[in-house]
Amino acid sequence: MNTAPAAPSGWYRLRVEGRLAARWATRFDGMTLVDLDDGTTLIEGPVVDQAALHGLIRQVRDSGLSLISVQEVGSDRSRTNPHHQRSQS
Amino acid sequence: METKLLVPQTRGDVVARKRLTEVLDRGRSARLTLVSAPAGFGKTTLLTRWLADRSTPVAWVSLEEGDSRPLRFWGYLVAAVQRAAPGVGDGAAAMLQRGRPDLDTVVATLVNELATAATELVLVLDDYHLVDDPALQACMVDLVEHLPAKVQLVISTRVDPALPLARMRARGELVEVRAADLRFTLPEVASYLTEVSALELSPDEVSVLESRTEGWIAALQLAALSLRGREETSAFIADFAGDDRYVVDYLVEEVLDRQSAPVRQFLLQTSVLDRLSGPLCAAVTGDPDSQRMLEQLERANLFVVPLDGRRRWYRYHHLFGEVLRTYLLDAHPGEVAELHRRASRWYDEAGDPVSAVRHAVAAGDVDRAADLAELALPTLQRDRQEGTVVEWVGVFPDELVHARPVLAHGFVSALMSSGQFDGVRERLDELEQRVPAGRGDPPQGTVVVDRAAWERLPGSMALHRSGLALIEGDPDATIAHAEQAMSRAAKDDHLTRAGAAATAGLARWTRGELEDAHRFYSLAVDGLRRVGHVSDVLGCSITLADLRITQGRLEDARCTYEDALRLAEHDPAPVTRGVADMHVGLSEVALARNDLAAAAHHLERSRVLGDAGGLPQHPYRSRVAQAGLAAAEGDVARAVELLDDAERVYFGDFAPNVRPIPSMRARLHLALGNLDAAASWARARRLSAGDQLSYLREHEHLTLAMVLLAQHRAGRAGALEDATRLLERLRLAAQEGGRHGNLLEVLVQLALAAWTAGQRSGAAELVRRALVIAEREGHVRVFLDAGPALAAVLRTVSPNSSGGRHAARVLGVASPVLALPLVDQLSERELDVLRYLDTDLGGPEIARELSVSVNTVRTHTRHIYAKLGASNRREAVRAAVRLGLLRTARR
Repeated sequence: MNTAPAAPSGWYRLRVEGRLAARWATRFDGMTLVDLDDGTTLIEGPVVDQAALHGLIRQVRDSGLSLISVQEVGSDRSRTNPHHQRSQS
Repeated sequence: METKLLVPQTRGDVVARKRLTEVLDRGRSARLTLVSAPAGFGKTTLLTRWLADRSTPVAWVSLEEGDSRPLRFWGYLVAAVQRAAPGVGDGAAAMLQRGRPDLDTVVATLVNELATAATELVLVLDDYHLVDDPALQACMVDLVEHLPAKVQLVISTRVDPALPLARMRARGELVEVRAADLRFTLPEVASYLTEVSALELSPDEVSVLESRTEGWIAALQLAALSLRGREETSAFIADFAGDDRYVVDYLVEEVLDRQSAPVRQFLLQTSVLDRLSGPLCAAVTGDPDSQRMLEQLERANLFVVPLDGRRRWYRYHHLFGEVLRTYLLDAHPGEVAELHRRASRWYDEAGDPVSAVRHAVAAGDVDRAADLAELALPTLQRDRQEGTVVEWVGVFPDELVHARPVLAHGFVSALMSSGQFDGVRERLDELEQRVPAGRGDPPQGTVVVDRAAWERLPGSMALHRSGLALIEGDPDATIAHAEQAMSRAAKDDHLTRAGAAATAGLARWTRGELEDAHRFYSLAVDGLRRVGHVSDVLGCSITLADLRITQGRLEDARCTYEDALRLAEHDPAPVTRGVADMHVGLSEVALARNDLAAAAHHLERSRVLGDAGGLPQHPYRSRVAQAGLAAAEGDVARAVELLDDAERVYFGDFAPNVRPIPSMRARLHLALGNLDAAASWARARRLSAGDQLSYLREHEHLTLAMVLLAQHRAGRAGALEDATRLLERLRLAAQEGGRHGNLLEVLVQLALAAWTAGQRSGAAELVRRALVIAEREGHVRVFLDAGPALAAVLRTVSPNSSGGRHAARVLGVASPVLALPLVDQLSERELDVLRYLDTDLGGPEIARELSVSVNTVRTHTRHIYAKLGASNRREAVRAAVRLGLLRTARR
């Protein structure tokens, strides 16, 4: 999940079943993990291209996590605010 | 690794899941049995449990990352079949050992071998998601569609494979076990927790655990581990049920917390390994008691899966391995590289450079990885493991490879041996800029670990250039680079010298310079003998003998094969690859002498040794030899089939293709009277009687001359003159090149042409010349193959003239093709009637068709029967087909 700053990257949000402890942040290197109140977790961050996205989904799969949704949330970091998102859900 | 092909061990204490094993049993009558579910759903356990109760042989492949390379994948699959059903898959395995096997053919061969095998088989591809890749897709679809019913294919995977599942589902050809099926039902959960795990739980508690884990066995297993020996089970269960953390994360933490510090540390530290063994774990953790630790983990059912029955190799259950690595990365991020480094060192000392390189790369020690790779090159090359080296091409950064000429050169070598020539020229150009032509120290900025390989570099690079030129069809450049390689190679660098002699020899062969080619090839053989590469010596013997056969020197060819066989006898290997090829060669020599019994005997010897006892070109050459024998025995139709077969498995191994299969087949079509097929071959090859001649097309041009002669007989104007002029030119070319084997064939055809033109004495003189050449070496077949017409010419040779004795010998050979016309040839009119005998028409109708009386037809028919030795119409037709007088339209 290395993302070169200069690379044109999309911003993706994956939602998985279950809350994840902080240690999983190292696992999904470069992504932010946000636990939601409904017992799901958002894995969110920059994803350079389709190959990287599929790699990320594969890591979710290999960790045994149930994937609920995948969403592109724009390419501009400032546009997303997970905590704002949390209050909505 | 053998462990890939072992069915994983079953723990005795698993829940019997009859409802699922019954589904798997139903898969016997389906095309595909698919077990598709995410990690930790008990797919492998279900399969091993199911197989343990069955007696059918099992071919099992545990797939791993990187196995999607087609050669490797099919290699494992075929090896698994061979293990399960000895002898089955040998043909496919032999094909896979060639430089660039055609995978469609490999799959077709494997399917055939399975279809003819006596045994039922279950073929399991476990963890298929690791290889499901477009590169494999087409062949896998083929395999699924053509597998015989007695083979049950089982695919277990986390992701549905890219196979036509919907179509198979609609046709009822698919049996599936999916996540919903694999989830443990409440009674199964109860059975697992209270019986298998011996926990004392109330039905309510069981129910809570079932609902929290949703019947996911990975989670249930962890829950059972957490509960073991715990006083307050109900409190634990209540906490667990009330928590919404990822269930595995929660439980692994619980389980790890309950382990002693040494166990916890062992689990985390060894999670970097793909496989675990006592000594390897000891090296990585520093705990000398690692073997005991592994056995303890296995007994406690703590994440490890044994890979063999001897408690030597284990791996972590995939899902837990992933979670453990996550914990390690979080808790000790600084340690990870060092753990990989220790693993790399252990593998290096254990003599497994491939794993050593992998861990060194994972440790970030790219330079050390490159050192290891460089030193491993000679061994990998000798063992024909070029596939592994080719994988490294993608692993190391370009700048690093540029700075390491020996490694860069090893990559070039591996790419070429595996038939990948794209970009090889550029790599050689780049390399040449860094390596001085003379010997000396590596220049500044270059890294060389294998100093001896560095010394060999200048010669070896020139050798690769020579090989590249040979592939590109440039004999002059091939020879120039080969000479450079020889002048640069050290005296004792036998391999480079032998290689250069071989490419130079092949280039000369391509140019038709047979004597020179033989001389160079003999040098190559000497060099290979000296370094003990027996199989390579046998491979070269094929070339040496082929050269002698082209020169007409049958006896020398025979001695070449016999010498090679004697050499192989002293080889310590149980079966020396290439022995089968020598027998094929001997059968060809015997056939040329019309010793059909000896030819059949040698072919049988080669068949018993099997494709596996042969070199890469064996499948092709043995089929060509069988075709020759079948044709000689009069079964021309079968010979054509064998040639079709041979074409599918063609592999020339750098040798020029001087006897192209389509050209041989066109000759058989002529023998069958199928002039259209032969003529359309000649058109497709754009052959014409006026072509400039070259040795590489000599066989084709001679076939063209035969086609022209047949066309003349069919009434085409000018064909006889074209054929004669072409043959005269071919005669000159073969004479000048000393190709007496080919010259013989040309003379025989020239004699036929002269005879047809009414020049009887000219024909006799031509055939006499051929007889004189043939007598020395015992050639007989070349006269018999020319068909009935030649017998008449042979009979005009006076017994007292030179060649007369051999003519008598040829005529005396009891061959159906030749025996017939000696008595009497069919007249034109009789041939006309013969054609109608192969129809449903009766005597009066035939008479009407030919505008003759019924009596005339009867007379002709009687003569035909007499000449063919037939007593009825069916026998006459059959004899005529066998003799090539009739096409096989009705068969």
